Amino acid sequence: MNRILIVGAGPAAHRLAERLRHHGHAEALTVLGAEPAPAHHRPLLSHVVAGRLTPEALRMPFPPGTRVLTDTMVTGIDRERREVRAQRGGVGTVHPYDTLVLATGARAAVPAIPGATGDGGRTGDGVTTLRTAADCERITGNTVVVLGGGPLGVETASALAARGTATTLVCDRPHPLYERLGDTGGGMLTELLAREGVRVLGGRTVVRRTPGSVLLDDGTTSRADTLVLCTGAVPAARLARQAGLEVRDGIVVDDRLRTGDPRIHAIGDCAEHRGRAAAGLDAAWAQAEDLAEILTGRDTAHRPVPPVFRLRTRAVDVSCIGSPDAFEAPGVRMLGFTDRDGHRYARLALRDERVVAAVLFGLPQAIATIGLLHRRGQQLPSDRLGLLLGWPPRPSSRESDTYEDAMICLCNNVRRRTLSLAWRAGARTVTALAAATRATTGCGGCGPQVAEQCDLWESEARREPGRAA
Amino acid sequence: MTRTLVVVGHGMTGHRLAERLRALDTSGAWRIVVLAEEAHPAYDRIRLSSYLTGGSRQDLALAGRDFTEDPRVDLRLGCAVVSGDRAERTVRTADGEQLPYDALVLATGSEPFVPPVPGRDLANCFVYRTFDDLDAIRGAARRGRPCVVVGGGLLGLEAAHALRLLGMRPHVVESASHLMPTQLDAGAARVLHRSATGLGLRLHCGTAVASIEAGPDGAVRAVVLGDATVLESDLVVFAAGIRPRDELAAALGLERGERGGVLVDENCRTADEHIWAVGECAAVQGRCYGLVAPGYGMAETVAGRLAGRSPRPFDGTDTSTSLKLLGVHVATFGIIHPRGGPAAEAVFAEGTTRYAKVFLEPESGRLLGGILAGETGSRTALGPFVGHRPPADLEQLLLP
Repeated sequence: MNRILIVGAGPAAHRLAERLRHHGHAEALTVLGAEPAPAHHRPLLSHVVAGRLTPEALRMPFPPGTRVLTDTMVTGIDRERREVRAQRGGVGTVHPYDTLVLATGARAAVPAIPGATGDGGRTGDGVTTLRTAADCERITGNTVVVLGGGPLGVETASALAARGTATTLVCDRPHPLYERLGDTGGGMLTELLAREGVRVLGGRTVVRRTPGSVLLDDGTTSRADTLVLCTGAVPAARLARQAGLEVRDGIVVDDRLRTGDPRIHAIGDCAEHRGRAAAGLDAAWAQAEDLAEILTGRDTAHRPVPPVFRLRTRAVDVSCIGSPDAFEAPGVRMLGFTDRDGHRYARLALRDERVVAAVLFGLPQAIATIGLLHRRGQQLPSDRLGLLLGWPPRPSSRESDTYEDAMICLCNNVRRRTLSLAWRAGARTVTALAAATRATTGCGGCGPQVAEQCDLWESEARREPGRAA
Repeated sequence: MTRTLVVVGHGMTGHRLAERLRALDTSGAWRIVVLAEEAHPAYDRIRLSSYLTGGSRQDLALAGRDFTEDPRVDLRLGCAVVSGDRAERTVRTADGEQLPYDALVLATGSEPFVPPVPGRDLANCFVYRTFDDLDAIRGAARRGRPCVVVGGGLLGLEAAHALRLLGMRPHVVESASHLMPTQLDAGAARVLHRSATGLGLRLHCGTAVASIEAGPDGAVRAVVLGDATVLESDLVVFAAGIRPRDELAAALGLERGERGGVLVDENCRTADEHIWAVGECAAVQGRCYGLVAPGYGMAETVAGRLAGRSPRPFDGTDTSTSLKLLGVHVATFGIIHPRGGPAAEAVFAEGTTRYAKVFLEPESGRLLGGILAGETGSRTALGPFVGHRPPADLEQLLLP
């Protein structure tokens, strides 16, 4: 018997249920969700904020045959008896399992701000975090301050501005997404958000709230009918800790996504795999897919997926792949592109011609292509600049007349083409080239250039013996 | 009838001008009088360091016997010009001699800039420009002892390198945030920084010299930096930039550029049609150039004009350079300080061993210029594409 019980009804649970059915799991599958409604597609919450989508549109129905119990608050795990105890509508319930999957997700981190937050991370009226569809409805009034310069803060602020709310984004670093975009890209983001109507206040934080306004650490106040806290997430690991399972930042799992108890697994934001917890939606989905294979008897080992995120805002297309440290790793080739006025910015770290990390800003075409090549683990084409800028194919230097026709010796009217022919005919030194073409025999000014060209052909000939000049 | 050209100054540019005119003036229309302030004929100032480490003056001489023995050339050494008379078309030397000219070219070069810090006149404070400066430095150098070079530009790094080869342990103080701020950006300077540090140079960027302290003997003992760091030091070499030698402009009543230099047009001609200026003393359309390549460009333009041809006017926008410094190749090509709005930039780099940046016109993607440092491709390969979209194998050309 393999009765599978999933605690949590978010995107990880949803994907796991779907994949278990896909891989032929035919036995009991039960999902316990604390919220009144089952899983919704959280990345699109900002569209609900902007009024572009209704909360219902984010619903993700579980596959047929899944028993989904909403409004069910799990209170404890009894590992001896292999059952989970819960409260549903004030009534205690018990749910037996053969395999238990913890997919409890994360809760919003709530900083201590006098006047905004109470004990235990609760928020008062006019203050909200943004984690569920219900939270969206708590954003009211004409002026809103969003605290937090991460992706959620940026998306929320941009969405609020789009629906006509006077919006201020406050972040402690100089610019939003600063860890990823640095000064250059971050500065561009601040500019583009301002263009959308978001007032960005970088290098500041909220130190106090009174109804209708917030006080910043530089002594200024800002009107705020609602203060939205987008200040990160904390893995929800209380149940696991109480059950005696190892918890560091999140619930510690191995490559089989298993806790210290072989019957208990954890996936999604609540899990900590190889030191990383609350790794985001892509990681949650990948873990759900791998666990579905593991639980249906396959020999799958989970490998961490490089963190990837795409910013969902109308202000600009932004995508980040891999961790920021990857740019500093030894043995990588770094590519950068900056077009300040055009608000385009890119950084790529490549190893073996493959992307290990990337930051792409204002380059939608490159985001699509490079994202695809990265997901497939494929090499990038050699013309990276053309790829970044979406240029049509163009000739290489060897095919280009510009290069071959370049005048090398002005005195004697010798072009590179002439030198190249002489080289191929066997003139392999500056002296020989001079004798064959008269280059360098005028003022002598082109001597160094001919010598350099000579070295270049020689090294090319060494690398590709079949293709000298 | 033979005309007389007087060239004031026998540096690299003055010499190039004389050489080019000799080559172009096939009919022997010109007699060339070259007046050198120094007691030596022109020498290769770029390789000056090799003189400090064993090379002879002869090794660096630019003028061969064909030049000095040419009857059309009258080279006078130790002959400084102090004034002139434009109406009479004469110059007067320090000895009081009046020399007539049909054309006058000022090629007086520049002098080292010594920042006004307390202690700059102490014994064992030097500049780095002439054979005589270098003789003095060699005389004061002590093996294994620390010294300070003020200035982390091209000249300062050359000086530091030479002092190192003399067995001293140089510090380099650069007030900008990185080495060679005129030519390089921060990324390229990192490549140079790593190599310089590897050679034992101790680099202090982003801070200036506050004062120079004397020991009991009255000579340099220590250098104090703006951040209060005290560097023990036996000698100090100032290589913190140059100032054009434009005194003759005032003596001749000619206009000077806003930041000094003899003001000339794009053909290197002053407002007086008989007087020209080339090299570091010239302010071409108001701008001075401190490298030899643009100086040679000016010499080319003026020599062509004097020979009755119509050469291209001097174009200072391309400040291409290519040099090997402290074991690192650094090069620039095309335009690296674009005017009129920021250019787009593309960077290709591997660690701190090689680095290439190209500047592109944002809309069209046309290549404007670039900066190369370390084991990169040659600027020769890239040069032809300036003004065009770079080829598909741009990255392979930059980092082969």
